[in-house]
Amino acid sequence: MKDFRLYDIADFVIDEDFIRWVHEQREEDNLFWNTWLQQHPDKHLVIATARRIVSSIQFQQTTIAAPEVEQEISRLLHTISTQQTPAAPRTARVIAFKWWYAAAVLLLSLTGGWYFYFRNTSSRPFAYASMVASKQLIEHTNTSDQPLVLALPDGSRLTLASKSRVSYAHTFGSDDTTRYGASRDVYLLGEAFFEVTKNPNRPFRVFANEIVTKVLGTSFTVRSFEKDTTIQVTVRTGKVSVYAQAATPASAKMSEIILTPNQQLLYERAAQKFQKILLNNPAPIVPASITRTMIYDDAPLDKVFSDLSKAYGISIVFDSEVLKKCTVTADLTNESFYQQLNLICSAIDAQYELIDGQVVIEANGCR
Amino acid sequence: MLNNNDTQLEATWLQRLQHNDEQALAAIMRKYYTALYNYAARFTNDEALIKDCIQEVFISLWQRRENATSILSPRYYLLRAVKNKVLKSLHQHNIRTGSMESEDAYDFLQEFSVEKLIIDRQMSEEQATILRKTMAQLSKRQHELIYLKFYQHLDHAQIAGLMNLSRQSVYNLLHEAIQKLRNLYQAEIFNQ
Repeated sequence: MKDFRLYDIADFVIDEDFIRWVHEQREEDNLFWNTWLQQHPDKHLVIATARRIVSSIQFQQTTIAAPEVEQEISRLLHTISTQQTPAAPRTARVIAFKWWYAAAVLLLSLTGGWYFYFRNTSSRPFAYASMVASKQLIEHTNTSDQPLVLALPDGSRLTLASKSRVSYAHTFGSDDTTRYGASRDVYLLGEAFFEVTKNPNRPFRVFANEIVTKVLGTSFTVRSFEKDTTIQVTVRTGKVSVYAQAATPASAKMSEIILTPNQQLLYERAAQKFQKILLNNPAPIVPASITRTMIYDDAPLDKVFSDLSKAYGISIVFDSEVLKKCTVTADLTNESFYQQLNLICSAIDAQYELIDGQVVIEANGCR
Repeated sequence: MLNNNDTQLEATWLQRLQHNDEQALAAIMRKYYTALYNYAARFTNDEALIKDCIQEVFISLWQRRENATSILSPRYYLLRAVKNKVLKSLHQHNIRTGSMESEDAYDFLQEFSVEKLIIDRQMSEEQATILRKTMAQLSKRQHELIYLKFYQHLDHAQIAGLMNLSRQSVYNLLHEAIQKLRNLYQAEIFNQ
């Protein structure tokens, strides 16, 4: 044990326990030093001076943000996993090998650079190429004519359309959320249908050029080819939110749009505008056994609309006060969604409009 | 006495590394990245070069993982490897650009900072100016030494190894530096 009674100012300054007390202010250190000072009151001035010296030694420190460190870790793991060299001490040969290695990497990245340059993506900060550049990602490209089904590490599935590519971090869906972040991020160029496993704590995000689609568990399609003038997001089941990639989280929040089943979002890239529409041929989101029993005999209208709405996950807006006396007698089984709407509307002498991805009923009421 | 748990944790990382566990390598990098980056940044401002050097150090740690458990202090091992790698790269660059400085004649960028002290109101601007002048009088080696001692928490033997000095020289240089600071604090202006 050190005898601090014999310590001079300079001895304290270079003592590692003393330094730790000044730097970290740990509870146990505070206790020790305060007690020690009570026992040695004549040392107050010495301690005070030593403390001031230690705390005046300040170097400029660069803090490396955690994501940046993770990027370097991914880069490292990528290198060692692709480098199947045996662990052996080498000296002179290492240098020759390294030069060759550096040349190869340069060639690859240059080729990639030219490729994307000619696709005129260099000026777009959220283009696929710029999003995935600098990140160590696993990439799948579908060069065939057939859709390619891929399983993601979290159990989600995606069906990648022809001439499309998708990337994700090799840490995708890792349980270690403190290290790799909670969200499951995928980068898409082209078109893909996603079936996402439910996990409310792990948002699933698809980055497709300028827009981001965020989901908690659902199935949907994103279509975003580089040459396309629009980006489309179509929801089969569940609920997704879509927003434009923006400089600040606040402005991203502003542009956020919620999509429900059978809705499609069109993003016009030039005008940077969102438009929400209903699909031409909505598919039921409930089992066929339920849609098979849509036979009504003098049923209240709100009951019919409510069933229809649930079957397709599409919201139907109507004035229940005006339409409260209306009843419907119809067999809606095996009809398409729009045919069902037509049948109901003709029965109650109403029209429907599609506004902002919803069905809006206009009617004068029933007697 | 310092951070016993950390030492044990690091020992398990090294064992896992020896058994080809890539995540152990990742954990070590995660823990030391900022420290290594900051130390390397004392020798050069070239961020890309720093990052590449750190990558290479970890790649070679992976290649030599069979002997990982023989590393007693990962911090010391890594700081030393990064320093050597950075200085070697700078030296090679110098040769290519025609500068003939030797590998030992490196700069230790003096980024001693008083701003935080002023902001924290630990001292006045006037005092800070004097402190800065005093620090500027210290040699590059003394700066590096103080940095390693107070920011990387290395012991004197490790500092001696890292700087190619004898332990006695480390102690002398450190003492001289501390003495200057001490005189400063005992001077009138710092005791108002």
